[in-house]
Amino acid sequence: MSMPTADDVVSVERVSRTYGGDQPVVALDDVDAGFRRGTMTAVMGPSGSGKSTLLHCAAGLDRPTSGRVLLGGTDLSRMSEKQLTELRRDRVGFVFQAFNLVGALTVEQNILLPSRLSGRKPDPAWVAEVVERVGLVRRLRHRPSELSGGQQQRAAIARALATRPEVIFCDEPTGALDTQTAAEVLELLRAVVDESGQTVIMVTHDPVAASYADRVMVFADGRIVQDMPQPGVRRIAEQLAALGRRRPVAAREG
Amino acid sequence: MLGPAVQMVRFRKGGFVATFVALVAGVMILTVCGLLVESGLRYQGAPQRYAGAAAVVAQRDITIAGPEMFGESESTTLVLPERGGVPEALVRRIAAVPGVADAVGDRSIAVVPVAAAKVPTAGHGWGSAALAPYRLVSGTGPRSDGEIVVDARLAEAGGLRPGSTAEIVVGGTVQRFQVSGVVAARGREAALFFTDAQAALLDPHPGRVDAIGVLAEPGADPEAVIASVRKAVADTEAKTYAGDGLGLVEEPAAAAAREFVVQAGASFGGYAALIIIFVVAATVGLSVRHRRRDLALLRAIAATPGQVRALILGETGVLSLLAAVVGVPCGLAATVWIRGELVDRGFVPESFTLRGGFLAVPAVIAAVAAIALVSAWIAARRATGIRPTEALGEAAVEPAPDGRVRVVSGLVLLALSGCLIALTGGLDGEAAMGAAVGMLYTFVLAVALLAPWINSGTARLLAPVLRAVWRTSGHLAAENLRANARGMVAVLTALVLSVGFGGTVWFLQDNLERETVVQSREGTLAQHVLASGAGLPASAAEEARRIPGVLAATGVRRTSVIVPMDFGAQEVVAQGIDPQGAEQTLDLRVRSGSLADLKGAAVAVSESRAKSSGWKLGGKARLWLGDGTEVTLRVVAVYDRGFGFGDVTLANETLGGHTVTGLDDHVLIRTAPGVGTAALAALAERYPASTVTGTDRLTGELARDLAISAWLNRLLIAVLVGYAVLAAANTLVMAALSRTRELSLLRLVGVTRGQVRRMVYAEQSALLGVALTIGVAIAAVTLSSVVNAVAGQPVPYVPALGWAVIVVGTAALALVSTILPIGGLLRTPPVEGIGVRE
Repeated sequence: MSMPTADDVVSVERVSRTYGGDQPVVALDDVDAGFRRGTMTAVMGPSGSGKSTLLHCAAGLDRPTSGRVLLGGTDLSRMSEKQLTELRRDRVGFVFQAFNLVGALTVEQNILLPSRLSGRKPDPAWVAEVVERVGLVRRLRHRPSELSGGQQQRAAIARALATRPEVIFCDEPTGALDTQTAAEVLELLRAVVDESGQTVIMVTHDPVAASYADRVMVFADGRIVQDMPQPGVRRIAEQLAALGRRRPVAAREG
Repeated sequence: MLGPAVQMVRFRKGGFVATFVALVAGVMILTVCGLLVESGLRYQGAPQRYAGAAAVVAQRDITIAGPEMFGESESTTLVLPERGGVPEALVRRIAAVPGVADAVGDRSIAVVPVAAAKVPTAGHGWGSAALAPYRLVSGTGPRSDGEIVVDARLAEAGGLRPGSTAEIVVGGTVQRFQVSGVVAARGREAALFFTDAQAALLDPHPGRVDAIGVLAEPGADPEAVIASVRKAVADTEAKTYAGDGLGLVEEPAAAAAREFVVQAGASFGGYAALIIIFVVAATVGLSVRHRRRDLALLRAIAATPGQVRALILGETGVLSLLAAVVGVPCGLAATVWIRGELVDRGFVPESFTLRGGFLAVPAVIAAVAAIALVSAWIAARRATGIRPTEALGEAAVEPAPDGRVRVVSGLVLLALSGCLIALTGGLDGEAAMGAAVGMLYTFVLAVALLAPWINSGTARLLAPVLRAVWRTSGHLAAENLRANARGMVAVLTALVLSVGFGGTVWFLQDNLERETVVQSREGTLAQHVLASGAGLPASAAEEARRIPGVLAATGVRRTSVIVPMDFGAQEVVAQGIDPQGAEQTLDLRVRSGSLADLKGAAVAVSESRAKSSGWKLGGKARLWLGDGTEVTLRVVAVYDRGFGFGDVTLANETLGGHTVTGLDDHVLIRTAPGVGTAALAALAERYPASTVTGTDRLTGELARDLAISAWLNRLLIAVLVGYAVLAAANTLVMAALSRTRELSLLRLVGVTRGQVRRMVYAEQSALLGVALTIGVAIAAVTLSSVVNAVAGQPVPYVPALGWAVIVVGTAALALVSTILPIGGLLRTPPVEGIGVRE
């Protein structure tokens, strides 16, 4: 399907992830995938299809049971927890569905937190530009609880951008937002790819959100079942619907 | 990580309140202990009467070598209960030391000036006036044995001046002296000077003096003189005191007070530190658990495990500093109050002042910070296990209880406690008490370690009961208890600790007091007692016997002796009696032997003392009298009532010259039935400051004295229990307030407000009920094994009020810390509550 190539900023090679216990659950089943620099990929699929697990493994938040993950040419499988953390804060940005920000810190402190933890001075001009771009210039001194949901997500994106990471991983970034705010956030992510040449990998349920991506990858039962370049909302929806109908036939629960 | 740490603390104030309060209280308690210990160590009494002496030679304590262990011999040093003296012959030897201008043998004689009976006074020889030195303000020194010099306080209180006649009670009789002069005096006790010859005559310690004051020659190097004197007496039991040490010689109460304060402060500080570790570890752990998601988020976006640990340590460090800022002043204020109480109750002399703090306070702050940081480090290690992906989930799920080490060590401790129960059963007296305290600790530690499993086990076990009583609410309660088993560990531990530890020690005190009073009342056969604050000469008992209708009279003097133990030695309460007819006034419940044989070098001992010191009837008993004289006596009787009458009973003749006053404290008088007290009243008139009362008064006084000495123990227990309960309350309030979302959800899905309330009642009843049951069980086992060993009764005495306090206290805790906060939460509309982040 999408064999990894040298241009890929993130590549996943024959990755499997099994969650243990008496009845092991296979979340990822021997997956190969590559994500090219300067692209935005939407990862879709029904609940339990393995899409979030892929995101966690690719971002170094979780370790695959077998196979290996390369991030910018670095093999994550042999890194210690500390090295993984350092890699995450230098080369990876995160935007989660909610609870993205540390409540005790102001928006500005949240944005600068990764730099602060790595002990590196952030580039003030770049940070100013990022803040400008997400439209939070007048909100910097506020605490997360004083912001709307959309503003919180934008603050999270600003934080993800501030260290100029190679890849930004998003887990349902618009899941908790209304349509209008969601559109703003997605446009922002799109602009990051188009204007700064960064890479975005986004897990989502929403065909509209996925339509902002350059490529849509559909997961089912721990495998990639579709990999479509810029398919458009209608086609994405059709694919998902087909998957939903196919679902009861599949013998396995994921 | 200090910046973010400070911010975390400021933002999540609520979550840190529990830790903060626990730390403040901890700092406060330890400051009190530390300050008492430091003041005690620096306390030397205040030299007044010896202020002019270069050095003083005296024997105020005794050092007893213990058994040899691993090639080293531990020795015990005890303050002599009856201030030991030094041989008079030493005076001449010291006077001959080069650089010594004069050596003065000082005698200290118990006297009561009739005109100023309220002023504590001691009699001395006029020669010793040079040691202060005392200055004559009017008249002259005593020129003949019939003359005395009084100090200004006595002169004022008694209206005495040169030429007037003073009646002085000395040796239990009134003697008249002519006042020849008045001296200006400082001194703690008022001083009264006889001629040296008269003083030697009146002193009940022939051939000995209380202390020898050394006056250095003008121009002599004081250090050199002290060193020479020290060398000159090196072969005797006497010690040479100089400088600050002079206060300790002059005021033996100071030395005892010093020992008492240091010991009380240190041992209480030890208990307190242990409990503070428990409480702080629990609250820090809780505050970490309450923000798993925040920490997981930090891990996901940027923080290494080390940085998360550093953050938690930083927060705790900041809190410790804040706690020190609040706790130290509170501790200082509390110490001032305690010092006042200790002086009022006679534990320490008025001259005991609080000193220093330059050592104690930093040490306390460092200790509490160390405790807090170690607890935080343990909690932080657990936080490292938080996976970054937890930040992504909807709910932060608490992992199941872990740690095989914890279960195993908990079970081992439990087994150990079981062994100790068996051991305590086979022991007697003090050894039993020691084993019981060990048992108490192992029990509480075992419960603390096993708490998560006890909680979840309880939830499972009580589920049917809760369902039967509260139905739906009970079912929910059982589920909640199971889910929160770990969160409530601190509550279980704190309550078990309070009830188990507090109950045991508090009620043990009750039992010991009761046992003492009961033994004293039942063992006193005499109906009347002639008692005098000034002491009674042996003639009082003899005179009493001659009164018609009197069957027997026994002169009794209270003292203490030092007995050898397995490790070192110990001071125990003793009494001296006049054995003639004693079997009619006293019933010590003699098990073997007879008090009638208490003549010459003989001793009677209590059963438990005989066991601990390894003495047998007919065998030899080696012990030290109150002034440090070693004696070997034949054991002629072994009795039961050691609590009421002291563990050692000696003949008065054995004690002669070895107590401060050399007099009897009271005379027990047994009269034939129907004999009036008129004849006895006439006896009282012949002895100054004496009265005849019923022996029940004697028991009453004994009870009052015991209550005073128990006061400190009770205060300590109250503080510890209060601290533990505070910790439990903290945890409960925090847990209750964090349930907004959960309770709102329940109400949205159709659980009524009443049902929620009943659910909370059910949870509280189960949780606190189990804690109470375990605590009471621990207290019951410990208490009954000690009381059985000490008093031979398997069922300890627990006052009804004690039960009431435990039960009502627990109910109040539940009410204040959970039911009221939950009531508040239930007033929020559920739709609002559901939106609240945890």
